Amino acid sequence: MAHLLPVEIVEAARAFPGALAGCSDLDGLLRLKGAYVGREGSHAARMMELLKSAPKEQKRDLGAAINELKQQWEEGLKARQAELETSKTSQHGLLSGSDPTLPPPLPAQGALHPLNRLMDRLVEVFRPLGFHVEEGPEVETEAHNFDGLNIPEDHPAKAASDTFYLAAHPELLLRTHTSPVQVRTLLRVAPELAQRGGIRFLAPGRVYRKDEIDPTHSPMFHQVEGMLVGHGIGMQHLKGTLEYALRALFGPHTEIRLRPSYFPFVEPGCEVDVSCPLCEAQGCRVCKGSGWVEILGAGLIHPNVLRYAGIDASEWSGWAFGMGVERMAMMLSQTPDLRLFFENDQRFLKAMGGLD
Amino acid sequence: MWIERKALAQEVPQAGALSTRQLCDLLAALGFPVDGVAVREGTEALDVDITANRGDAMSHYGLAREIAAKLQQPLARIAAPAVREGPPVVEVRLESAACPIYSTAVLELGSGRTPAAVQAFLLALDSAPKLLPAVDASNELLHRYGHPTHAFDADLIHGAVSVRWAKPGEALVTLDGITRNLAAADLVIADETGPIALAGVMGGDGTKVTEATRRVLLESAWFDSKTVRATARRHSLHTDASHRFGRGADPAMAPVARNLLVDRLQQWCGGRLVSAWTVGSVPALVASVALTETLLARVAGEQLPLEEAAHALRRLGCETKHGHGCLQAVPPSWRHDLTRPEDLAEEVLRLRGYECIPSVLPPMEGPPEPLSASYVQRQRLSRRLAHLGFHQTVTYGFISPEADAAFAAPGNHAEGRTLANPLGQEYSVLRCSLLPSLLAAAQQNLHHGARETRLFEVAPTYASGPNGPEERFMLGAVWGGTLGGEDYLNPARPVQEADLRGVLQSLGFATKPELHSLGEGLFGFEAPVADLAAAGARIIPAFRPFNRYPSVERDLSLLIAPGQSYETLAAALRAVLPSNALQDLRCVDVFRHKSLPAGHQAWLIRMRFQTDRTLVGEEIDGWVAAALAAAESLGAKLRA
Repeated sequence: MAHLLPVEIVEAARAFPGALAGCSDLDGLLRLKGAYVGREGSHAARMMELLKSAPKEQKRDLGAAINELKQQWEEGLKARQAELETSKTSQHGLLSGSDPTLPPPLPAQGALHPLNRLMDRLVEVFRPLGFHVEEGPEVETEAHNFDGLNIPEDHPAKAASDTFYLAAHPELLLRTHTSPVQVRTLLRVAPELAQRGGIRFLAPGRVYRKDEIDPTHSPMFHQVEGMLVGHGIGMQHLKGTLEYALRALFGPHTEIRLRPSYFPFVEPGCEVDVSCPLCEAQGCRVCKGSGWVEILGAGLIHPNVLRYAGIDASEWSGWAFGMGVERMAMMLSQTPDLRLFFENDQRFLKAMGGLD
Repeated sequence: MWIERKALAQEVPQAGALSTRQLCDLLAALGFPVDGVAVREGTEALDVDITANRGDAMSHYGLAREIAAKLQQPLARIAAPAVREGPPVVEVRLESAACPIYSTAVLELGSGRTPAAVQAFLLALDSAPKLLPAVDASNELLHRYGHPTHAFDADLIHGAVSVRWAKPGEALVTLDGITRNLAAADLVIADETGPIALAGVMGGDGTKVTEATRRVLLESAWFDSKTVRATARRHSLHTDASHRFGRGADPAMAPVARNLLVDRLQQWCGGRLVSAWTVGSVPALVASVALTETLLARVAGEQLPLEEAAHALRRLGCETKHGHGCLQAVPPSWRHDLTRPEDLAEEVLRLRGYECIPSVLPPMEGPPEPLSASYVQRQRLSRRLAHLGFHQTVTYGFISPEADAAFAAPGNHAEGRTLANPLGQEYSVLRCSLLPSLLAAAQQNLHHGARETRLFEVAPTYASGPNGPEERFMLGAVWGGTLGGEDYLNPARPVQEADLRGVLQSLGFATKPELHSLGEGLFGFEAPVADLAAAGARIIPAFRPFNRYPSVERDLSLLIAPGQSYETLAAALRAVLPSNALQDLRCVDVFRHKSLPAGHQAWLIRMRFQTDRTLVGEEIDGWVAAALAAAESLGAKLRA
């Protein structure tokens, strides 16, 4: 029978099942229908023309063959149409959310940087004690960064090997700590210190030191400075405040320990340890078995710092502390490499940052 | 600084009874934390951290003094035999106030070697014995008593010795074999041919003691700390001696250390003293300091009797007298760091133990201050962006000149923002924009296989100004990669500029920041945080009545010719529509298909009308017809 049909029809008939299966939507199916059984220009129309012009003795057989093909095609198209319509309905079912077993789409999830979260948390902890936030520029003068803090003129930190200086402005540098914010704030509030009843603030921010980048060093890092000036302020107030704050941060059973130390801008000066928050002072890798972790440096404000700002050191006194944010973040999170905090890999940020 | 436990216990026997852990805790409580413990030569050596203000504690004896004071236990006396001083055999001249005292001696050396115990002591401190008694003895004394001394080969010295400032053009080959070109502020010890030592820092190679040395000239002087620090820094020559003189040595130790050195050379190698003498005198570096009961109570947080304070200070070597609520203390010659009442109070607290300080919250003396609007705004902005799916980055404030130049505004020259001493070219310019850093971070994320990268940073950028770089807090954001495709409802598609534009619009900047196409399908913007609308002064804005009448929406499907701007079309439509009734007009769908004439697209424009009465169909039909006419005047056609 087939030998009666022209080769292009035979080829089209052979290709039909594949083309049918390849139709993924109703539009495609409609196009396929047009090409095979459409009223004009289709394979079926072409066959009808052939039948008309065929010799009489062939008409019967040819007609049967044509009918069989047409029927085959029409049935195939119909069945596929039903299939596609069903799948469209079921897709519509999905769109209306009727399948609770499938995982729902999740809203986009960003993250705050872990260092910022930690600084925010510190501010939060000190807010109830009446501390606000003071800020200062990162490009500072030598006077604010060193001189106002009772740092001797020949202190090694001033050397170009330790501190970044500006080429066009040799008197300007990138602040090496957040302490110049102390100097700026004290200078500003000195005239009104009595009316306002002293001052207490935190100064979080970025600082720079000329350290090569390695797993424990970075030329830029963050500090949080704290300062309080009032009447009759002594070491007991430093201890009381830090005990409150570090317990708020690490848990109510946290113990703190002050050890004598030296910084030019405080007198007396101390290092402050907390009972290891990771092993509850049982001794671990972080506290090197001692149960204590060094967390910040502090002390009573050196009278020279108050005097530099024009504050009467015989009337006013205060305390100050400074802590390294990265150091604390690394300790708390056990992050093995400081550089991770500055690489900004989204996988790290997502895992360490969170939204609040 | 290394401290050998047995040698420490020789000075303060009680220390020998403590376990290593107890000793470490005790030292830490005194302000000398132990960084580590090493076992060498069968003995323990502690790596003790000494703060820069405590030159006096940089020796076994110095720490023993502290321990003895704290434990109220006896301290060994320095066993320095009296050496009879005689006439100078070499003229020594002190020509600078930076060296007020110089004790010296000339000895003829016999035979003999450094005792094994001293060699072991030095090895335990990680300091190799030179097996030259004069050198090893000087070294041993430095570690034991903290006073640096030096021995010259007396036969290599020509004529008189002077301590003076270096002269222009003078040079010295130091013991390490390096030629040092001297500056006028370098204090030197010189003979008549030129410098033979960098005072308080390092001896000269030409006069050093060797196996061949028969006669030594000893130097046990005191040098001004500032001078020594400056010279050590100038020549990058940080030695045990410069460390101690630089932090303040005890001038009274000059003759004592000389005597100890003479004694050791006599004992160890049969040295014969030719003569010992001292030029100059011990300078008066310490002065009486007054501590009042009030100040002590304020610092300590509780009332402490002055008797107790006086007792503590006497244990540290001060002479005290007190009465009428005030204590006068004259510090010992080794404590020139005690110059203020606060210094004395600190000593009293230190000996009591900081654990005795009470814990008290400071009373409020005035009202607390609110957080500044600018700070709060930045915090809120960061939170908002994080909730919008952005990740906050922290990047360095300095970048490469090339990366900076790509975003620098005209007039913002990099010269004014360049570091004199950067870590490297790539970190040399204070950035004018956050975008180079964000772009690098975004590319890095995509490179590491992230489907999508959505980053932001809130940080200062810098503009060159006449008085230095001016800082301004900016918000920068980048977005790129593939959106969706991770669940069954949101098909995958590339991030488009419009996505970021929508974010930007929702943040509400006063002036519209420019959107940058940063390549690789990344888009970014940057804007000053100060350009964001500040939070209103009112917690809740004043009530404004809102319209309760129903609103009506009408859509116009328009066939748009190529090149038509949406902004222009929307403006034309708005112009003919009643402003009091038109609440909103926007394009809600765009259709592009080959069935449309080439280059054409179809926009579905939705208009929402609402007034303070119920609208009737006819008037809305009239408005829509007018809108269509306006669109047609721009060449648009109504689609069926």
